[in-house]
Amino acid sequence: MRLKKHWREFLIFLSIMGPGMITANVDNDAGGITTYSVAGAHFGYALIWSFVPIIIALVIIQEMCSRMAVVTGKGLADLIREEFGVKVTFYAMAVLVFSNLFNTISEFAGIAASAELFGISKYIMVPLCALFVWWLIVKGTYKTVEKVFLAACVFYVSYIISGFLSKPDWNEIVSESIHPKFQFNKAYLLMLIGVIGTTIAPWMQFYQQSSVVEKGIKLKNYKYSRWDVIAGAFVVNLVAIFIVIVCAATLFKNGIRVETAKDAALALKPLAGKYCFYLFAFGLLNASIFSACILPLSTAYSVCEGMGWEVGVNRRFREAPQFYGLYTAIIIIGAAIILIPNVKLVPIMLLSQATNGILLPFVLIFMLLLVNNKRLMGKYTNSRIYNIFAILTIVLMVGLSVALLFTQFMQ
Amino acid sequence: MLSIDKKTNGSARIFIYFSQLMDREVVDKNARSCGQLYDIIVKPTQVYPQSSHLIIREGYPNRKYAVLAWPDIEEIGEREIRLKLEKSKLIYKEQHNNKEELTLRRDILDQQVVDTANHKVIRVNDIHLLEVDHCLMIAHVDISFRGLIRRLGFEKVVDFLVALVHKNAGYLKYEQLISWKHIQPLSINPVSMTIKIDVPQKQFSNIPAADLADIFLDLNSQHQLVLFKSLDLSTRSRIFRGIDFRAQKSLVEEMQPKEVAEILNSLPADEATDFLEKIPADVADKFLNLMESKQAKRLSQLLGYSSDSAGGLMTNEYMAFHKDAPVESVLAQIKVRVFKTEPAQFVYIVDEVNHLVGATNFRRMMLAVQQGPIQNAAFPKTYCVHLSSSVKEVAYLMDKYKYYVIPVVDENNYLQGIITVDDILSQLISFAWRKVKKIKAKAAQ
Repeated sequence: MRLKKHWREFLIFLSIMGPGMITANVDNDAGGITTYSVAGAHFGYALIWSFVPIIIALVIIQEMCSRMAVVTGKGLADLIREEFGVKVTFYAMAVLVFSNLFNTISEFAGIAASAELFGISKYIMVPLCALFVWWLIVKGTYKTVEKVFLAACVFYVSYIISGFLSKPDWNEIVSESIHPKFQFNKAYLLMLIGVIGTTIAPWMQFYQQSSVVEKGIKLKNYKYSRWDVIAGAFVVNLVAIFIVIVCAATLFKNGIRVETAKDAALALKPLAGKYCFYLFAFGLLNASIFSACILPLSTAYSVCEGMGWEVGVNRRFREAPQFYGLYTAIIIIGAAIILIPNVKLVPIMLLSQATNGILLPFVLIFMLLLVNNKRLMGKYTNSRIYNIFAILTIVLMVGLSVALLFTQFMQ
Repeated sequence: MLSIDKKTNGSARIFIYFSQLMDREVVDKNARSCGQLYDIIVKPTQVYPQSSHLIIREGYPNRKYAVLAWPDIEEIGEREIRLKLEKSKLIYKEQHNNKEELTLRRDILDQQVVDTANHKVIRVNDIHLLEVDHCLMIAHVDISFRGLIRRLGFEKVVDFLVALVHKNAGYLKYEQLISWKHIQPLSINPVSMTIKIDVPQKQFSNIPAADLADIFLDLNSQHQLVLFKSLDLSTRSRIFRGIDFRAQKSLVEEMQPKEVAEILNSLPADEATDFLEKIPADVADKFLNLMESKQAKRLSQLLGYSSDSAGGLMTNEYMAFHKDAPVESVLAQIKVRVFKTEPAQFVYIVDEVNHLVGATNFRRMMLAVQQGPIQNAAFPKTYCVHLSSSVKEVAYLMDKYKYYVIPVVDENNYLQGIITVDDILSQLISFAWRKVKKIKAKAAQ
């Protein structure tokens, strides 16, 4: 009897699962993979402990979004517009568009890099992927799109397999994670800021909340939605840990220094074999395409919600022209910039980090105000303890994201 | 009529946008600053709600709010709003929200509302107010892009730039103002959890059921539920009929079983069955127990048939009369009977034990001898289908004999129900769609 009940609960969870899992997984995008590869290659297992606070921060922030979505039935941009007025919303959306555009460009850069790893010209691969990503959303419904996204989440397993292929020393990993060795030098601290600072980006809150709303999850099923967030945070960080492990077990052991995920993959080939290399490269391609789809989608959702235009994957192009127009424009611009020969990506990365850093404090503070608004949330506001943790997380995240910006400008 | 004359002769009529009034300085009669206009409370007593109170906000960061009645305002000037009182008469409080009232800033501006004229859910960018006799009335809501630009404070700049490019641009010429009489606000009363529906029950009843369902699906789940509960039974059942099973289910999950039974009572039998056969049997039984016994009996009978047979498609709401009944008495009975759906044009003729004898329509009945038995007015031949006939057979027969409605009988020729063309059509359309998809998939390969 009890087993049957658990089985039923698990089935309900599977039907609710999606928004949290997808949002968290996009966190491991091209930029994330680069950061984790470099962290593994330069510092071995010394940074693995940092994924524990990352999981906690991710759960705390994203759970609030999920809760607001279920209780109010509105997206974050909707709520900001309704509670804080049009001016704030407009400027927040303007910054968000730029921030997401820069992020999308770096995803297409990831596609270009992984295409080159497989020996395919980026001039073929980038337009093809852009077309696929565009076609998926414009022709799909929420249900089919979500299924494709969840399938993309499964492909992250390639990193876990490549982790095993790299034959790491598991005892060392365990002992390093339990007794982390802090290093108080500049390089280590910079890397730490990089690893934690990229965890929370403004688009994630908007996307998670909108997709929970579009999925239409009920209050009585909310606990499953919370599990979705928690499971997502664990899965994404497990994958991240394995990326660190792959690079630590091979590149760090041999003292190879890398700057990008592409370098890391190329350096893996002679050390861990070609299967490990292909899996790593495939993981990068999958992550980049997946994120290149979600980021423009998230932008379109947020802007149209905030400005009061028709929203939704379930509508047709003509029914929601602004929604699909914005989505299309961001993909075209993102892909086009990568196709410029010899384009410099560093300034784009800096701009992306800068816009994120500017927007993040506002978004998180709005969220905290909204989630504690009794009129909107009724009895589902944050408890006092939750608020203390949320404020701590927000202060930490904002601090790190600003610190990250400074470190990048100094370099 | 008198009041209208007074308005046109007396004070001038001016339109003003709420965004232009918002944050305007408020001064007392000695020209001392009292703060800024924050919000306006309106009385939704008429078609166009009238301003009743003004909310003033003062101080930063410790904000305080004062509420005062509209007659205490001396004048709404270009730069500032002058009061008749002294500032010392105003009572400032930390809170200003009286939850019951409708206020412009909190409940309308930037919120989603239903536009019952264009059958859409829209977001309000600005509110167009009409000044009449020192009072403000909500005349329109503005949903245009220009309204957004105005709120951002760039109206003049953007107007100038647009005019440079194209003098007669649509952006400048057309105002997207929607009259308040078509607007249904969606602000939820936090105490009673209802939406106040003032005039518009009538407006909702003018919207065709399918469009009404579309509007409904555009709302978020919370608004859906609250609006649904605030509507009258006939509008509720029209919405329920129009939405798909998923939306129906999620509504039912939030309602009391008694309310569900009430809606199922008001639905045509075949549509109620469609819903009931998709939910778990124990839940369906619970609803059936709460329903009128007559409808419940009908439904449980229909529920016994498989959903893709004639028995599953049919409704048992039909008109049947004994073969010897005089035509005029049949017509008289039809006149007084109440139907849930617009019944089909056919009348069935049966014997003492409900064997199907024949069918007739209104034209034949009107042309027949009024005192004669109804069987004289029957069609020469009536075709029917069996309870177990498949959808395809039913569709084939209806097409062959050009029937809008076909009677269903059991193996002993007892009349059981009727199938109307719309029930068959929806089956055929979904069938055709599957086929089109298959063909497309094949073509893609």
